[in-house]
Amino acid sequence: MIRAEAIEFTYPNGFRALQGLDFHIKAGEFVALIGENGAGKTTLLKLLGGLLKPTAGRLLVGGLDTARVRAVELARRVGFLFQNPDHQLFLPTVREELAFGPKNLGLKGQALEERVAEAAAAVGLTPYLEVNPRQLSKGQRQRVALASILAMEPEVLVLDEPTTGQDYREALEIMTIVQKLHRQGHTVLCVTHDMEMVARFADRALVLGAGELLLDGPLATVFAREDILAATGLLPPQAVQLARPYWEAGLLPGVLTVEELYEAIITALRGEKDARQVLPA
Amino acid sequence: MPARSFLHELNPLTKIAWSLAVITVAFVFQQPLPLLGLWASVLAVALAGKVLKEILPAIRGLLIFAAIFILFQIFLIQEGNTVFTLLPGSGFGRVTDVGLTACTMLALRMLAMTSTIPVLLATTPPKDMIVAFVEKLRVPYVYALMLVTSLRFIPTLQEELGLIIQAQRARACDLESRNIFRRLRAIVPLALPLLLMSVQRARTMAISMETRGFGAGPRTSLRTSTFQTLDLGVIAGCLFLTAALVIIALR
Ligand SMILES: Nc1ncnc2c1ncn2[C@@H]1O[C@H](COP(=O)(O)OP(=O)(O)O)[C@@H](O)[C@H]1O
Ligand SMILES: [Mg+2]
Repeated sequence: MIRAEAIEFTYPNGFRALQGLDFHIKAGEFVALIGENGAGKTTLLKLLGGLLKPTAGRLLVGGLDTARVRAVELARRVGFLFQNPDHQLFLPTVREELAFGPKNLGLKGQALEERVAEAAAAVGLTPYLEVNPRQLSKGQRQRVALASILAMEPEVLVLDEPTTGQDYREALEIMTIVQKLHRQGHTVLCVTHDMEMVARFADRALVLGAGELLLDGPLATVFAREDILAATGLLPPQAVQLARPYWEAGLLPGVLTVEELYEAIITALRGEKDARQVLPA
Repeated sequence: MPARSFLHELNPLTKIAWSLAVITVAFVFQQPLPLLGLWASVLAVALAGKVLKEILPAIRGLLIFAAIFILFQIFLIQEGNTVFTLLPGSGFGRVTDVGLTACTMLALRMLAMTSTIPVLLATTPPKDMIVAFVEKLRVPYVYALMLVTSLRFIPTLQEELGLIIQAQRARACDLESRNIFRRLRAIVPLALPLLLMSVQRARTMAISMETRGFGAGPRTSLRTSTFQTLDLGVIAGCLFLTAALVIIALR
């Protein structure tokens, strides 16, 4: 679905934000993009959305060369959720906001109505369709922005820090919506600083540091390389850190989330699979 | 900000006086060549003040603006001898020598006048500008602050506009349409978020100023605004030169 071949990007002021990245993301994957501030994550997403063009190398999305097609064309395939929803919301009601993208793609009448209704339902905003987006909370505005992207029915979703600045419940809500979309077949690439969320939702992680791809692989493999993660200012999730010595001693299997750790401990203690039902939670 | 050149050391008002002098001279000059000289002198001042490189992007923007201005005007002036036509034989897109001179003159005048502003901003810390306004010109502090703050937010606004343009392009908003009406309509999804965010920022700023005691009583400032000998010399020089040039031009 997404193929990067030695892509580089240099900003007009001469700053080299990406220095030769190679990776391949298959259709239907849920990939987390992690790395410290300034690593180049947002820049990479903008290249995917065709908002910036690689200064060297090739970036293909669904067979299209992002350097050749116009951003408007690419918008059909790649849904880009910006870090700050206020950069895109400007219409007086949520309904009009959701209709803006599909209208630009040429949809009208019944088809348009359906798209809007579906997108609103997908993010749980159906009761708010006539409300002014400005009156909603940051988390809700983020969901409006997400729905406004969904209404264009893109195959790929690229999300730039969709949970930043929200409380745990709102963050979990948004990630659950994204998970649902992923299960419906969307390919997802999501930037986040929250390792617990990564462990919980993603299958694979790309680690960026100073414009270079430091790690690329399944979560277990990536989280095992604490040395490299530390180089770009990251720590594995707490459950992983906690279980690590026991895993190395062969006492516990590899785990990623608190739930998995709990499961593993109970199983190890009882030596039986369905011990969870026996012990009080 | 450490003083990096004589321009940085001058009182902000001296620099404004220079700016006004350039504007006056630009208005009395009627020929492209002297105006070109005037513009060159502004750039020379920037070079001497070691800020030419810094203001180059702004100058480039002004140049583009001037070019667009020429393009719009040049076909409208029909008197004088034909220099060339866009569609030979049809008379459409006729460019005359009179039109060419007039447009070049207007564009150069605009360039000379506006180029002093980036020089001013690049060599003056906003605080010094406020203090100078308040102490020497008796401008109420609030007005001086408003003026300077709005100038200082221009780069932030530009950055924000860049992000908004990208965000709307990601929603298939066609900003490069060749259809002029569509293009005009496309301004709305860019201008509205920018406006709304600015209002939001202004509110936040008002609150943060109040929490730090803005408007609580009489103000004093750490550094005072002074005129040095250099300032007096520069102002006198500007006055003399302007007067001389005006007399020559109007003779
Ligand atoms: N418009 C720009 N011009 C110049 N440099 C930029 C621009 N945008 C971002 N950068 C620089 O590129 C680097 C990567 O930025 P970004 O992709 O936003 O990082 P991240 O999203 O990982 O925090 C940063 O060092 C940043 O300063
Ligand atoms: Mg970023």
